[in-house]
Amino acid sequence: MRKIRSNSIEQTTPFLRWVSEGQIEEIHFATLEVLERTGVVVDHPEALQLLKDAGCIVNDHRVRIPSWLVEECLRLAPRKIVVANRKGQRVMPLEKNRTYFGTGSDLPFTVDLETGKRRRSTKRDVELACRVMDYLPNYDFVMSYAIASDTSSKVSDLHQLEAMVTNTIKPMIVTAHDEINMRAQLEMAALVAGGREELRKNPFMILYSEPISPLTHTNDGVGKMFACFEYGVPVVYTPGILSGATTPVTKAGTIVLMNAEALAGVVMAQLKQKGAPIIIGGGATPMDMRTTATLYGSPEAMMNYAIMTQLSQFYGIPNFTEAGCVNAPIPDAQAGMEAGNGILMAQLMGANLVHDVGYLEGGKTGSLTFLTMCNDYIDNARYMGRGTRIDEETMAVDVIDEVGPGGNYVSHEHTYKNFREEIWTSKQFNTSFWEVWEEQGSKSMEARAEELAKHIVATHNSELLDDTIQQGLNEIIAETDQKKASTRRKNKDA
Amino acid sequence: MSDFSSLAELVINGNYNGAKDFTQKLIDSGADPIEIINQGLMAGMDVVGVRFKAGDMFVPEVMMSAKAMSTGIELLKPLIADSDMPSAGKVLIGTVKGDLHDIGKKLVVMMLESAGFDVVDLGVDIDPDAFVNAVKEHSPQVIGLSALLTTTMLSMKDTIEALKEEGLRDQVKVIIGGAPISQSFADEIGADGYASDAGTATELCRNLIA
Repeated sequence: MRKIRSNSIEQTTPFLRWVSEGQIEEIHFATLEVLERTGVVVDHPEALQLLKDAGCIVNDHRVRIPSWLVEECLRLAPRKIVVANRKGQRVMPLEKNRTYFGTGSDLPFTVDLETGKRRRSTKRDVELACRVMDYLPNYDFVMSYAIASDTSSKVSDLHQLEAMVTNTIKPMIVTAHDEINMRAQLEMAALVAGGREELRKNPFMILYSEPISPLTHTNDGVGKMFACFEYGVPVVYTPGILSGATTPVTKAGTIVLMNAEALAGVVMAQLKQKGAPIIIGGGATPMDMRTTATLYGSPEAMMNYAIMTQLSQFYGIPNFTEAGCVNAPIPDAQAGMEAGNGILMAQLMGANLVHDVGYLEGGKTGSLTFLTMCNDYIDNARYMGRGTRIDEETMAVDVIDEVGPGGNYVSHEHTYKNFREEIWTSKQFNTSFWEVWEEQGSKSMEARAEELAKHIVATHNSELLDDTIQQGLNEIIAETDQKKASTRRKNKDA
Repeated sequence: MSDFSSLAELVINGNYNGAKDFTQKLIDSGADPIEIINQGLMAGMDVVGVRFKAGDMFVPEVMMSAKAMSTGIELLKPLIADSDMPSAGKVLIGTVKGDLHDIGKKLVVMMLESAGFDVVDLGVDIDPDAFVNAVKEHSPQVIGLSALLTTTMLSMKDTIEALKEEGLRDQVKVIIGGAPISQSFADEIGADGYASDAGTATELCRNLIA
């Protein structure tokens, strides 16, 4: 008979809480106070009208949102948002405590994998990054990674989507220049999904749109979000800030302000459409007071994300956060510490969408080598996140008795059965003895990762898109490009 | 310690109430207003600039010192003819058309002002014509164009072209900045300079005006 324990709690995964439930409520009430007392600026006419009709106090563009309305909208926002891959498989359910990793978007610069030189990013960089992430198992979603700066700037976001969707089947988060381009991207997505209805059923795309701190909601930012809701496409609506410049310098003040911006987004979203799939969070990075750089890999950012993840779990709304984006300009020891800390924290907290992985120089420079290194960091963090199994098999009392004092375990069947699960093996970390490491070419982890990245680029291709879809995508890009060129001319003539 | 260096010290320490009182005391004692600025307030800011560059002072401390300087200058302004007002130069600045991001440009404005520049801040989403009109109105030595979004980078080029069309390009130096901007982009669109951060932008303006 199996020996069981009664009235006992078992904990499989580590239980990490940065602050207490009471403190989370304190932050929530402070946020409600900001929305009700200070309010926000909204530059989107429809949103402004919706807010007014719902009972907000509106003076010109300044909107003061009553607490009851915020709380009502929090109840309406979905607790679970399922994101599919390109093939319509529902692979990424965004629900409490499920953590997914991916890159960020729109890097202006890239360290070329072949030459090792830093240069402006191109569409080819988007393609390569997507192929690398399509291959590496710990990347769950992709963002554009680089800016397609060698394409027509009016539609470079459309080119980025085209590069993404043709080079990976994984779920993706996109950015858009404005509402016109967003709508073009939604049509592209519908084409790939097999129609608008299929896209609505199993959206494989999420929009990333932003308020501008402090407390400003732009016409484009809200317009893009509303367009996505019409198509049933989820939206990340979160600010990227600089503590001490665009938010208070204190961590708690930063979180309150960002939360106010996100919750104003939740209110607008739910007023636009009940149950609109919105994702909260954001990049809570301090400003380096010596250089004014954005400190992505900082301890403060990670501490902020821990609390913001708790907040999203408290609200029951999926969140979007950041890790693996470092201030080190090269993938060195500093980069490893910055990325490792953030990735582990995100995993242990159970954050949902963790983006910007594999970014150097404070989110301005990309490196496929570093992206490849981070795949192993995530592997390590996920291993720890799975926790320590405690049961009869793992406590191994029978085995200890059998081996007895002075014996060994290496040849025991218990070791054979359990070692793969009980000891993590890295793909790229150096763990050899010195002489063996020398024999194998004295390669650093960076050099090994670079080799792997080159190998992936040379050999791995994602499942191809149908020719007619590919052609359709190119047509939408060309049409939008033309449309924009003519509106530009019209503006100039007027 | 001379009275002027005491005032400079108050500026360095960011003691704006002290700097205000001390400036008033110097005015009352009959000191020359322009000397109070040059040898007291600006002298203090010069030290702040050196310390900031060396990493010994931080942005919020520089801001506080700048505030101390300007409280003093406010008291002195009515006593000095506009044309005699000491200035490191005049800079016109704005975030280009299509871009609503503000913080990088605000930092540059504050750092320039703290270094004694006369700054006209046009704000955000400024189209080329508005830059042209402002150049005509204010006759700056330098104009600064800021962008965070890559989509708006091209608006920088449009602005430079507009200045050319109006025959104003030779009268001003154009500098650009923002996260996606690089020296090579500056060269490509024919700007006179690029700065990666607010501290460098200040130095760049000094060099271009000198």
